[in-house]
Amino acid sequence: MPEYLRIGPEIVHETVDGEVIAIDLDNGSYYSLAGSGPLIWSLLAEGISEAGLRDALEARFGAVETIAGDVSTLLEQLRENGLIVATDREGAIATLPAKAADGETYEAPRFERYTDMKDYFLLDPIHEVDSAGGWPRPAA
Amino acid sequence: MSADPAAERATGVDLADAYFEQLRDRFEDASASSGSLDVEMAGLPLRLHYAGEALRANLLAPFEHLAAGFAGDPVLAISAFDTASSGIEPPEPLWDPVEAAPGTNPVVRLRSAQACVLAAAGSRALTAARPEAGEAIFHLPDATAVPAGERAAPIREALQLLMAARGRVMTHAGAVGREGHGVLLVGRGGSGKSTLALSCALAGMEVAGDDYVLLEPDSLTAHAMQSTAKLTEDSAGRLRVPAAAIDPAGFEPTLEGPAKALVDLRTFTPGALRRRLRIVAVVAPTTSSPTSSFLSDSGSKDEVGRRNPRLGRISAAEGLRAVAPSTIVQSGFGGGGSLATLAGLVRRVPSYALDLSPDPAANAAVVDSLVAGLG
Repeated sequence: MPEYLRIGPEIVHETVDGEVIAIDLDNGSYYSLAGSGPLIWSLLAEGISEAGLRDALEARFGAVETIAGDVSTLLEQLRENGLIVATDREGAIATLPAKAADGETYEAPRFERYTDMKDYFLLDPIHEVDSAGGWPRPAA
Repeated sequence: MSADPAAERATGVDLADAYFEQLRDRFEDASASSGSLDVEMAGLPLRLHYAGEALRANLLAPFEHLAAGFAGDPVLAISAFDTASSGIEPPEPLWDPVEAAPGTNPVVRLRSAQACVLAAAGSRALTAARPEAGEAIFHLPDATAVPAGERAAPIREALQLLMAARGRVMTHAGAVGREGHGVLLVGRGGSGKSTLALSCALAGMEVAGDDYVLLEPDSLTAHAMQSTAKLTEDSAGRLRVPAAAIDPAGFEPTLEGPAKALVDLRTFTPGALRRRLRIVAVVAPTTSSPTSSFLSDSGSKDEVGRRNPRLGRISAAEGLRAVAPSTIVQSGFGGGGSLATLAGLVRRVPSYALDLSPDPAANAAVVDSLVAGLG
């Protein structure tokens, strides 16, 4: 059975101008994903396997030789930094929204990590007493 | 005793809400000599109750520029008391104590669907709020010895919780402008936001805040909070801030770096304060010399050899990276909603990096002409 991966629960993220900005609420690190990174990130929203990611990119861009290696490297970076977690099921989004537009070519994902907020986080940490949920998130 | 969510569920007791009620009862006990300051903040009537004049003078005075009369009940209410003035202690904590190493301020948070309690171990500030109901209670051990962080951003957590429930995002940014239009000055502590905001005030521009504002996303409005700004000794010297305008506590260590003193804009640049500015751009000041992380060359110099300020357009994503992490890391909660709001802002207005010159007036002139061009 393949392993499915999805964005971790403590990660907040937005995509602006073709770049994903993701912030880890657990430690204050933040990240930028560009190139084909945002496409891959969108597929990780609900759960997808590594093979599923490769298939989705190849369906969009054709058989590009570097896709498999790029996907593998990016997933390793995302996993190492706690941005994605394993899940036992595949989400509903397993394909990319559309075929590549005319002239759009495959770009390797670009991943950057920023740790300049960590100092704040270490100086002013929050100790959660009730992690069961609640305001402002709906109770579990 | 430790808060036990499982026990809470089993007994049906909302520990955070129960603590809110206990703290409110203690405020009632403490409020024999209470007063209130009515303000309009972010377009909302807010009543600040205080038990003892020391709280008004030492904690709440920076909100006096927002004073406003209103008929009927306020939408929001924050009640503050301290033990030294009233002799009333807060209720026993429901959580295990957390050690605060020197220079740190760890916060214990207990929250439920109704209420949120925040106990800062370093400053010993205690906040309990019912955000949806618009009520918060605040306690300090001694209102005559308000900790530096609390003086710089008074009752920050209470305001953040109550305002977030009404769609206002407390944003780590300054706001300056002209004729009601302005730019959001963004970046982490030490990036030059406060110095630039005060440079603009000295140049006759309008200021809604130097470090925190309440952002109302639909109207792209930055609303003022406290009237104080934080400056390093170097910045105070370059801006020629008179000693009388600097808070008597002087330059105190900050969590994020060099010592800073509070300057109250009500006395330093009284005509500059505005309740709100409509945001037309995001500006990320940078002080890295000779180049910045955003701008790649060292630029021109003025007649005495100082670098001229340089303004360059940056992408919306770079603008978001400049404003969002420090806002969200400092808020510690509601991260997803805040990030979405800030992403909405940078999608709607252009973002710029401003590589600052050592000349404050030249920096302000660049911001002024940017606002004039976009406003």
